Amino acid sequence: MNNLPLKIYFFYCSNSLDPETLNRFSSEQGSDKLKTISLPCSGKVDILYLIKAFETGADGVMLVTCKQGECRHLEGNLRAKKRAESVDSLLDEIGLSRGRIVVIQFKDEGGVEEISRKVEDFRAKIRDLSSETLKLNSSLSITVGR
Amino acid sequence: MIVAERKSIPELVEILKGHKKILVLGCGTCVTVCLAGGEREVSIISSALRIASKLGGQAFEIEELTIERQCDNVFIEQAAEAIEKSDAVLSLGCGAGVQAIAERYANKPVYAGLNTAFLGILEERGVWKEKCAACGACVLHEYGGICPITRCAKHMLNGPCGGSREDRCEVRPDRPCAWQLIYQRLKSIGQIDRLKQIWPPKNWRSSLDGGCRVIIREDHRI
Repeated sequence: MNNLPLKIYFFYCSNSLDPETLNRFSSEQGSDKLKTISLPCSGKVDILYLIKAFETGADGVMLVTCKQGECRHLEGNLRAKKRAESVDSLLDEIGLSRGRIVVIQFKDEGGVEEISRKVEDFRAKIRDLSSETLKLNSSLSITVGR
Repeated sequence: MIVAERKSIPELVEILKGHKKILVLGCGTCVTVCLAGGEREVSIISSALRIASKLGGQAFEIEELTIERQCDNVFIEQAAEAIEKSDAVLSLGCGAGVQAIAERYANKPVYAGLNTAFLGILEERGVWKEKCAACGACVLHEYGGICPITRCAKHMLNGPCGGSREDRCEVRPDRPCAWQLIYQRLKSIGQIDRLKQIWPPKNWRSSLDGGCRVIIREDHRI
């Protein structure tokens, strides 16, 4: 079993997360475990960004959007959800399990603890998916054990 | 416009098996508009193929390029250097584009990355529908602009089949009966009398059934 830390790419709508909360959360996680990408609205996320995340080393992707009905740009969070679903399906075609990408509708009320809990829950879920370790950086090995 | 959709990743991996350096070539015209083979889709499919090929132990080396149109030599020339460097080309153009590339670079394997589906339009966000079968003998003027060849499942020219239920097609209940639409359209433009004309069975020789078609304009040839 590969013991490398699972790396999460964390795309977030800058309207849904307080910058100070995010900074504290990021520094607690460490850059080898978490990469944060700010979006002006979750609707800016593109299928290309999400699939590239997996190509460049993500084991899982979290997409944080505003809650239903609260998107400042009206439909951004709906678009984000659809695109995440599309990538989930694409990952299945590629040969990876579904469930490596998750959309969280979030309102910053619980602070760092709540985000950390959600990220750790997601990490645990990815770890359970399969024994594949997706590390596509050429300096790291790839193990596939289905 | 020509409407196409991408082949599945497993199918593409199988098609490209045995090759190493692959050029994924997009097209900036119809397939860009139908979100199947433009610059963005080239990047998405390339990324997916890189991941899939590494998982399968093949590790394709993929170069990405998009040209304005794959059906025109003037634009195909722009891809010459990239095509020469590759072991194979995965064209995300329509069937015409794939074949144009293959004819121009006869010593290079050129594969289709899309399934070219139909001539159609964008009816609503994310939905493209077939409108024209390119039969070569357009009769839209007789049917209020609604094509009985494409939109009637039985290609009826002289009225409905009698099988429609509640304005829905008997063959495809998820589609409206084309003849219901034709009747309503002709009535709205005051041309309902056109339906009195009885048409003979269609001569399909002008369509693909008559063989590969060629149009020549002598006024443009020296």
